[in-house]
Amino acid sequence: MRTRATLSGIFASVAILVIGWQAGSAAVTAATATSAASGAGARPGTPGTATSPTPSATTTTATAPATTAPAAASAVTGSFTGSSTSTPYGSVQVQIVVANGTMTEVKALHLTDDGGRSVQISNTAAPILRSEVLSSQSARVSTVSGATYTSDAYLTSLQSALDQAGI
Amino acid sequence: MSSNTTTRRPVSPGGARAAAPDRRKQYRRRARIADILVTSLWASGAAAAALFLATGGSAKFGTVADAVTSIGIVTGLIGTDFILVMIVLAARIPIIDRTVGHDRAIAVHRSLGKPALYLLLAHGALLLVGYGMSSGINPIAEIGPMLAIPDMPLAVIGLGLLVVVVITSLVAVRRTFSYEGWHIVHLLSYVAVLVAVPHQLSVGGILSAGSVERVYWIALYVVAFGSIATYRFAEPVISTIRHRVRVSRVENVAPGVVSIHLSGRNLRALESAGGQFFVWRFWTGRTWWHSHPISLSALPTDKTVRITVRDLGTGTSAISSVRPGTRVSFEGPYGMFTDAGRTAPKLAIVVAGIGITPVRAFLEDSKVRPGETTILLRASTQEEAYLWNEISELARRKGARLYTMVGKRAQSGPGWMPQADASRGVTLRSVFPDLADSDLYICGPTAWLDLVENDARRAGIPEHQLHTERFDW
Repeated sequence: MRTRATLSGIFASVAILVIGWQAGSAAVTAATATSAASGAGARPGTPGTATSPTPSATTTTATAPATTAPAAASAVTGSFTGSSTSTPYGSVQVQIVVANGTMTEVKALHLTDDGGRSVQISNTAAPILRSEVLSSQSARVSTVSGATYTSDAYLTSLQSALDQAGI
Repeated sequence: MSSNTTTRRPVSPGGARAAAPDRRKQYRRRARIADILVTSLWASGAAAAALFLATGGSAKFGTVADAVTSIGIVTGLIGTDFILVMIVLAARIPIIDRTVGHDRAIAVHRSLGKPALYLLLAHGALLLVGYGMSSGINPIAEIGPMLAIPDMPLAVIGLGLLVVVVITSLVAVRRTFSYEGWHIVHLLSYVAVLVAVPHQLSVGGILSAGSVERVYWIALYVVAFGSIATYRFAEPVISTIRHRVRVSRVENVAPGVVSIHLSGRNLRALESAGGQFFVWRFWTGRTWWHSHPISLSALPTDKTVRITVRDLGTGTSAISSVRPGTRVSFEGPYGMFTDAGRTAPKLAIVVAGIGITPVRAFLEDSKVRPGETTILLRASTQEEAYLWNEISELARRKGARLYTMVGKRAQSGPGWMPQADASRGVTLRSVFPDLADSDLYICGPTAWLDLVENDARRAGIPEHQLHTERFDW
């Protein structure tokens, strides 16, 4: 009897874990697909960034348009909202204020907020990213350690705003 | 409570029609339910880990920091699940008491205590390391930022309380406490579990608002605390009010031993089977704050119940002097030391000292055929032969063989019988020749009972044919 109970216990456990794992993978795929689609709608040039949250990939994709743009539009003024970029800890979206081709402010419309821990990380990382971005006037800044997902998504959203502003 | 009560007959040879195949079927049914219970124990642990996977956890092992954090989260989920399972096991839920028995449920409860605590301590430690690594600081420096997260200070208090609860329950430490002292500390575990809830819902992302995971998790809490509220609080209170039990008479049985006769209303509705116990509380100024598990020493009538108590400690000596008219509250009936627990065609009973009480009621209740039963009564001295006259009368009516052994425990041999019998070469086998085909019911002080039980195991009796009732807390 005991052997049978143990065996069915193991069987049930494995089944539940596999189901959980599959549900998890499905959820992640669905989330990434949604964000890729919304990214494409906002800015056709950067649909791939949302699906690749690794630092290197984001940085390369993000830098490319930024280096080619500035000369053309030096007198842009207005505010531009970046695409919403999803991470496993919630989505990130930023808005920039541009005056005469210079980025004067970065506002975080939404930051990773999936639980108190995420909020804490976002709150630490956002001011650092904001000041670095404003001083370099680009998305080419290093990620904040301990906040890789937030940084990557922040810079991706920022790059899409910069692209709209054409700077 | 007990399912066999509806078929209970007045004691008479004619009532002894219980067929052996019936018992086997009953046992198989119980074993099946027990299997399902064990399986769900496993499954609930797996489900806790699956919650993490279902929220995309499998993708969070990319870096060492992430992996440490992820393992930390999983240990927290499983550890908490174990704690909730422990609460369910301690809730004295009727189906658990009837299938595996309260004492086995408590044994599982105890065996989960340390693993649960270790998992939760690991949870705290791993998250300090994991969070620290991802922020590039050491785990000690991470304590500050960690406590700055909303709800975290409460969770740390909860973990601290849990450490206290588990330490006071370690056998060595627990001996230094009175039952009541230990019990009050143990009640802190409810607080410990509840103050940890906010951080579970708010700090991580797994149980985020509106998720299926959160619904499942809260359901676990509802089941655990709901069963405590129902079976440990509501049911006893309702029973107590409904049956209005009071002390009617206290009778001296032997030096230090009293039978307390209780009266009440509609007591048959409690459906207590012979051999079961209730947890009693006597409402006098000196005794209301402690309760005692005491077996019925006779089958109840509709208006009366009898319990028999020996002065084992200060608490019991106070209840042996309660006055007639004292109000009594109770929880129960509990226990599998009953006819419903039978699995084998023959019945063997070994009983020592005051352990006689449940056996007395069990024998009265059991549907045995003449020749089916063998009883061995054990006492250190002739004065401790409590209720032996009643047992011998029942044995005569039920057609049971009755042996007695009086004398101090032997220094050699099996150790549970007097020297004279050990020297004569008496063994468990010689007393119970049909042991392999018998249900062996043992009742008495733990140290003595363990010896008999080990002896029976050595004689090769299957585990499910062993039925024990230990007389200490």
